[in-house]
Amino acid sequence: MSETMPPIDERDDDAMLAMDFALGALDGPAFRAAELRLRRDPAFAADVKRWQDELGPLSAAIVPVAAPVGAWTRIEGELFRGPIAVVAPSSMASRALTLWRGLALGASAVAALALVLLIGRPGTPAATAPSALLAASMTTTDAAKTILITATYDAARGTVVLLPAAKDASRGLTPELWIIVGQDKPRSLGLIDLRDPQAHVVPAALRGKLAGGATLAISLEPAGGSPTGTPTGPVVATGTLATI
Amino acid sequence: MTAGSGGAAAIVDVLALIGAGDRDALKKLYDSTSAKLFGVILRILIDRGEAEDVLQEVYITVWRKAAEFDASRASPITWLATIARNRAIDRLRARGSRPTTTLDLAADVVEPSPGADTLIDSANDARRVGAALDRLDPRHAAIIRSAYYEGLTYETLAEREGVPVGTLKSWVRRGLIRMRGEFAA
Repeated sequence: MSETMPPIDERDDDAMLAMDFALGALDGPAFRAAELRLRRDPAFAADVKRWQDELGPLSAAIVPVAAPVGAWTRIEGELFRGPIAVVAPSSMASRALTLWRGLALGASAVAALALVLLIGRPGTPAATAPSALLAASMTTTDAAKTILITATYDAARGTVVLLPAAKDASRGLTPELWIIVGQDKPRSLGLIDLRDPQAHVVPAALRGKLAGGATLAISLEPAGGSPTGTPTGPVVATGTLATI
Repeated sequence: MTAGSGGAAAIVDVLALIGAGDRDALKKLYDSTSAKLFGVILRILIDRGEAEDVLQEVYITVWRKAAEFDASRASPITWLATIARNRAIDRLRARGSRPTTTLDLAADVVEPSPGADTLIDSANDARRVGAALDRLDPRHAAIIRSAYYEGLTYETLAEREGVPVGTLKSWVRRGLIRMRGEFAA
């Protein structure tokens, strides 16, 4: 840790930002901006990491607290329940994506694929009857109405399977998925990814809102998601859920 | 983590298995590290329900990112604790406020004794950081600890200390620069 330590200067804004971030003292917008930069600026990331390594041993002084009973079951449930688990990133997923893109499938075909993936494996319990599936083709909000992503909601598992159907439109921002029922204000279903297929777990409290006729929307937000709890960035795609 | 499980080196092995998709390995990691990470998260968020949500997010992130972990570049515990801290701070900032019981929790942080916590890579490292902090002005050291353990912003800390934000930032930054200087010495 001690060899090659460069001189550090309080007037060096970048060096101070790295220190502030590693310490955890930045406010919301600055913290998210730094998180975003971390992914794009290797020199900054290296600076942050050095501070994290140096301050890390402070965590040793924190008294362990037994995690709530049931926490593991919930983690396991989110990760491994059902045939489409949220699996570790694998080359299979990206190969599959390339295939989907390469075939330039229409929304219905993509939805059908999702259906096959969800219910097509042997030994799938009867609880995943197709009647529990809702899907939405989410199209761009411009005049072209290009299909950006297909969302299939599996009520039995409480997950939305998202299959990107166009090139990544996130423009370096963080896509956030919203559910809108009637005139209610949008409720966040969490941060998503517009590049890879994924099974996105819907917060238990919001599962009841995913029903036929409800609208799904994707907005682009700063890193970490909307700071206000409602969409703050441009809405890039919307779609209406319907039973399939 | 129990002494018999071999500490940091064992966690490196477990992370490698998780990276390869071994579910049992994730359970093993959870059993050996969840109390520590829950402690880290709970200190920042105070609220147990929220802390549990974040704990879940952390292990889901670990499952997805374990393959990216590089033992030659990072210590496994620092890596895990950093994910936990950043997620907790993210949640705290999104909330915009926090319960105001933080000061009473100062007693929950103890100085590590040799062998007290095999989760850290070396008890010496922890004592070294602690010793470097102890050589700073006690008030500045206490502020740095608060920032780190509770995830408080400069603004909140300045308000609590009754000093301008610029002054407080300067205390913290100079303190940390001095601390690094001590490591290099």
